Amino acid sequence: MAVRPPTLRDKRRYLLVRVDPPGTTIDQKELYYAVSDAVSSLWGDAVAGIIVQAVVCAEGDYVVIRCRRGTERELAIALSTVTRIRDTKIALRIISASGTIESLRDRMKPLPPPVAGESPGLRFDGKEFIPVHCDGQKVDVIEKGFKNTSRLFLTTEDMETE
Amino acid sequence: MKITDAAVCPYPNGDSSVRRLALEAEALGFDSLVVPDTPSATIGGVEVRRGLFIQNAGMKDVIAQVKRARDPGTVVSVRAGDAGFNRGVVGFRGVHILRGVHAAEKNAFDHVTAKMAADNRVAVDIDLSCLISARGIVRQKAIQRYRDVMLLEQRFEFPLTLSTYARSVLDLRAVREISGLCTLVGMDLSDVEKALAGVGAVTAPAEPAVKVV
Repeated sequence: MAVRPPTLRDKRRYLLVRVDPPGTTIDQKELYYAVSDAVSSLWGDAVAGIIVQAVVCAEGDYVVIRCRRGTERELAIALSTVTRIRDTKIALRIISASGTIESLRDRMKPLPPPVAGESPGLRFDGKEFIPVHCDGQKVDVIEKGFKNTSRLFLTTEDMETE
Repeated sequence: MKITDAAVCPYPNGDSSVRRLALEAEALGFDSLVVPDTPSATIGGVEVRRGLFIQNAGMKDVIAQVKRARDPGTVVSVRAGDAGFNRGVVGFRGVHILRGVHAAEKNAFDHVTAKMAADNRVAVDIDLSCLISARGIVRQKAIQRYRDVMLLEQRFEFPLTLSTYARSVLDLRAVREISGLCTLVGMDLSDVEKALAGVGAVTAPAEPAVKVV
């Protein structure tokens, strides 16, 4: 099929989205299904067909999501209703919108360095925790042991370092 | 105007500490949070206000609990019940917010209650968690109910508040996202601004009806 000339192509817009919590493994296909589900359950299939959403790329904690120009608002509202990818709880934070992916790349911040392997044990509410992500005052931890792997979102002031 | 999330539920009900919720809320554009059973404090640039959430209680329990919580900074809110209960709650001095209108009976919040809420400056809370997390018929019903509330609000102009009921930092939403979600229930930008400032409006001391000049 011949490629359409630029003047006949659909105008697209791209949203730069940060996936929280940091360090979540993003499967592009799973995220696409989550976004599609959110769009079609909120706006219906007819509007989803107009938005034509797609996950274009995933780099680190950032994802670029494409839509048709003029439907950014609908897509943004639908993205705020995405709460899970499969069994992983996430939140999508919209950073910016642009007409090109290149201009969005400039707004992607590099990931903070991962927590060192031999991190000190942390105590909170009488339990032992392992830090999995630190960013300034913010500390994400998981409880020591293999039974409970759910994250707690705390701050350095909440913790007592041993 | 203080942009306030009228309900968040930190650890142990959720997975985030109050401090962490406050830090994230500040990054998302909030000035204050209402947190149940937590002492008032200022964390970073966010004011944490003590909240008293009364639910599944009769009118006698509501009166007793409100009288016990006479701390002036406490934001008192009551979960909506049937029409008679809601009228009683809205007419009782000391209650600031009526919550869970979307989950109450269809005519539990009618024009009489709306007029009383406007007269007594009791806010009606809009629970955004059911717009964010719910799907299908549950969300459709919530949207329908809140659209009905907005119809009454335009007529009687009672205060509104907005709550995310965030149990995690992942459940918090930015002010811009909340504005978008509120358009689903027929709120425009000025309505959203008023609702975000709703907690401050209902807890501020009432201006005297007569001023001595």
